[in-house]
Amino acid sequence: MQSRLEMILPRVQKPARYVGGEWGSVMKDRQETELRFAFCFPDVYEVGMSHLGSRILYGLLNAQDGIWCERVFAPWVDMEKEMRAAGLPLYALESGDPLCDFDIIGFTLQYELSFTNILNMLDLGGVPPLASERTGLKNLVVAGGPCAYNPEPLCDFIDLFMIGDGEEVMLELTGLYREAKRGGWPKAEFLTRAAQIEGVYVPSLYEVDYREDGTIDRVTPLAGAPALVQKRIVADLDTMYYPDSFVVPSTDIVFDRAMVELFRGCPRGCRFCQAGHTYRPLRTKSPETLLRQARAVLKNSGYEEISLSSLSTSDYGGLSELTGAMLDFCEPRHISLSLPSLRADSFNVELMERVQKVRKSGLTFAPEAGSKRLRDVINKNLEEDDLLNACEIAFRGGWNNIKLYFMIGLPTETSEDLDGIAEICKKVAYFWRMNTTNRGRGVKVTASASCFVPKPQTPFQWDAQNTLEMLAGKQDYMKRIMKTKNVTYNWHDAETSVLEGAIARGDRRQGKAIYTAWKNGCVFDGWDALFSLEKWNDAFSACGLDPLWYAARQRPLDERFPWDHIGCGTRKEHLLDEWRKSREAIPTPDCMTKCAGCGANALLKGGKCRV
Amino acid sequence: MFKARMKFAKEGRARFISHLDLMHTMQRAMARCEMPLWFTEGFNQHAYVSVALPLSTGFSGEWELLDFNLLSESVPLNAVEALNDVFPKGLRAIEIYALADGGMPIRDIAWSKYRVTWTFPEGAPAELADAARELFSRETVEILKRSKRGENLVNLKELLRTLEIEETVDAVVLTAVTAAGNNNLSPEYLTRAMNQYYPAFDLSYANYHRMCVYNGEMQEFR
Repeated sequence: MQSRLEMILPRVQKPARYVGGEWGSVMKDRQETELRFAFCFPDVYEVGMSHLGSRILYGLLNAQDGIWCERVFAPWVDMEKEMRAAGLPLYALESGDPLCDFDIIGFTLQYELSFTNILNMLDLGGVPPLASERTGLKNLVVAGGPCAYNPEPLCDFIDLFMIGDGEEVMLELTGLYREAKRGGWPKAEFLTRAAQIEGVYVPSLYEVDYREDGTIDRVTPLAGAPALVQKRIVADLDTMYYPDSFVVPSTDIVFDRAMVELFRGCPRGCRFCQAGHTYRPLRTKSPETLLRQARAVLKNSGYEEISLSSLSTSDYGGLSELTGAMLDFCEPRHISLSLPSLRADSFNVELMERVQKVRKSGLTFAPEAGSKRLRDVINKNLEEDDLLNACEIAFRGGWNNIKLYFMIGLPTETSEDLDGIAEICKKVAYFWRMNTTNRGRGVKVTASASCFVPKPQTPFQWDAQNTLEMLAGKQDYMKRIMKTKNVTYNWHDAETSVLEGAIARGDRRQGKAIYTAWKNGCVFDGWDALFSLEKWNDAFSACGLDPLWYAARQRPLDERFPWDHIGCGTRKEHLLDEWRKSREAIPTPDCMTKCAGCGANALLKGGKCRV
Repeated sequence: MFKARMKFAKEGRARFISHLDLMHTMQRAMARCEMPLWFTEGFNQHAYVSVALPLSTGFSGEWELLDFNLLSESVPLNAVEALNDVFPKGLRAIEIYALADGGMPIRDIAWSKYRVTWTFPEGAPAELADAARELFSRETVEILKRSKRGENLVNLKELLRTLEIEETVDAVVLTAVTAAGNNNLSPEYLTRAMNQYYPAFDLSYANYHRMCVYNGEMQEFR
C-alpha cells in the first residue's frame, strides 16, 4: 500500500472500502497483461460490491489470458477530499494503479443519479471526462447496464456503449481492442470497427437533428454504423460463464451474500418496469446448473447466505424442488436461503417455512398500487384477496413482519388510489389480529411508497411524470391518511425522483447540463444528504434546457425518441399497444399464459421463447 | 466439542478491518477451509467466534487471539496452513491450539506491548525524541481518559509499565507496555499526551502495532 494512502486512511470513514486485498480478488502480473481493464462502479464500495452483474463480468474478464480486470469505486466525499489534498489519483483496488494507466475504463450504469460520479471518477483518476479530449486509444471509456438503453445523456463522456447482456460482447470488444493495440490503430479506426460488433453503440458515429420544438427529427448513422443497435442476449444461460467464486469483502456491504441467477427476463410485463421490458426474452437456468454453481460459490466464498435472484423468483418452474435440493446442501452447513422478488399470489407457506428454517426473516410483497383499477393500468395483476390470503397464511405461520412496496405518481392515479394504499395496510394489520398465533408479540407492517419515474423502453415512456409539487402534495396526503396503528409509513424523497425523471428520458443536449452540474459540485446525487435540486436546476437552465420538458411532458404517440435507435428487444409498437391498453385498464396476461407478441423472441434462434 | 484458540496477525491492509467485520471475515474463512466449527443454536444460528482484546480499526497486531469451539476430536492437521490459504491479505494464522493445552483465561490479560511510530516523511523533528523522554519520565502525566463511566483525569504513568524511545531518519518509535484488560490504556494516549504537553510538534499521523500480550506476571499470553 502506498504511504500517502496509509496516512489518509485513519482519517476517513470506513477505510476498509479503499484497501482491496479481499479474498477472491484477482492479482496478475502487469508484464504478462496485454489489456488492463478498470471495472468502475459509480457509487460507493458497499453498493458496487453488491451488484451481481459486476461480479460476473469481473470473473469473466479475469478468466481470459492477457486481460487483468480490476475494480474501482467512487470514493465517498471525505475520501475524495483527502485524496485531492494529497494529490492521490483514483486507483484500482487490486494494483493500486491510477485509472489513467488503464486501457479500457468500463462503467456500469445502474441508475441515472450516479452519472456525475462517472465524471468525477474519471477526473479524479487523471482521465479527461470529455470523450473529445481523449484522443488516443488508451483510456477508452465504455459503459453498459440498464441506463445504456437510453445512453444519449452520456454521449459527451462515453466512447462506446454495450447494449444488453455483456458476457459475449465484452469478449468481442476486448478482442478487437487487443488487435487495435497491437496494430497501433488510431482511436477513430477502432471505434468505426467496434461499431460493427453487434450490440455496440458508438455515439460519435451518429448525427442527431432536432426539430424546432426540441424533439428529435432524425438520427443519421455515419461510417457504416447500424441504424438500429439491437441489444445482445446470451441465448443459453446453462453454458454461459458464471464465476465459481466471489470476491468476499472484508467489510459489510449492502447485499452481503452469495447469489445465483435463476433466469434472465421476466414473464410478467409490469408496464412501469424497465427491466421487465429490456431483459426479454425469458431465459432460464436448469436446476442442475444452479445447484452446481451455488455449491461452488458457497464453498469458495464461505458465505452463510445465498439468494436465488431473478426479477420474479416465484415464476421459476420447479422452484420448490430447486429449493429443496439447495437446502439439502445448505442446512447442514448452516447456510440460509433467501428468495427475493416473490409474488403474493403464488405465496407458498410450506416453501417459505422450509427456506427460512435456518434463519427467519421478514416477508416483502409489492402490490405497487392501491386499487385494482390502477394495478390493471400498470399490469401488476395482483388481486387484493391474494395478497391478504398470503398475509393470512404467513401470520398463521408465525410471521409478524411484513413489508409492502407501493408507488405514487403512476399514470391515471387519483386520490382514491392513494386511499386504497391506506386501506390495504389497514386490512393487513387487521388480518394479523385475526390470524396471529401470538398477539402479544405485535406486528410490524412497513409500507413504503416511492415516486414513479417513467423510464425509456417501457409502455409508460410516453407519459408525463408528476411534478415535484404534485408528488409533494400526494406525499402530504399519504402522511395524513396512513394512520393505522402498527403500520409504519416510509416515503422516498421526490426531489431526486424528478431529476431521475428528467435524465432517464434525456437527449444528447443534457451532456452539458450533467457536466455543468458536476463542475458545480454535484456528486452522489442519489444520496439525499448530498443531493441539490437547486444546483441541478441551475445547470439545466445554464444550458438552456428545462428539466420539466423532459420529465413532465406528455409525449405525442408519434414522437421520435432520443433512444429509438437503441433496440431493447421489445418492439416500440408493442410498447405503444401496451400503453393503449393501460389507458383502458386492460391487463396483459403473463408470457406463460399467452404470448403478448413483444417481439423479443426474434432474438432467439428459431424465434421461439421457452416459457 | 472443545475450546480452541488461534493466535493470528492482522497487518497491512487488514488492519482497516473493523472488529465486527473481522468476526465475519473469520467465520467465512473458517467456512472456506471447512473448519468443523460449533454453531450457536437458536434464532440466528452463527459460528461462534470471539476476539480477545479487539484492536482499534487501523491498528495492526501480531499477537491477536480468536477463541472458538471445534466439533472435531482435535485441531485438524494443517489447520494453520489451510486458513492461511483462504485468508484475505494481511491476516495470518500463527498457531491454533486447544485451550486445554495451556491456554490462559482471557480475563488474565493484563498488559500489551505496542510499537507506536510517529512518522514524518520529510524527516523527524530533532527534539521530538528527547521531549518524549522528558515527558514520560515525569512522576505523573495527567491525561483525560475516556472510559465506560465517562471522562476521568488519570495518571498515564500508572498504566504504563515500560517505555523505550528510538529515533530513525523519518520517525520516532516508541515501544510501550501498557495496561490491558479492565484498565486498558490505548497507545493512542501516548500520542495525545505529547500533543497535550508538547503541542508544538502537532503529531498528526501515528501507526500503532501490538507486538505481544501478557498476563499479570508478564508471561506471554497463550
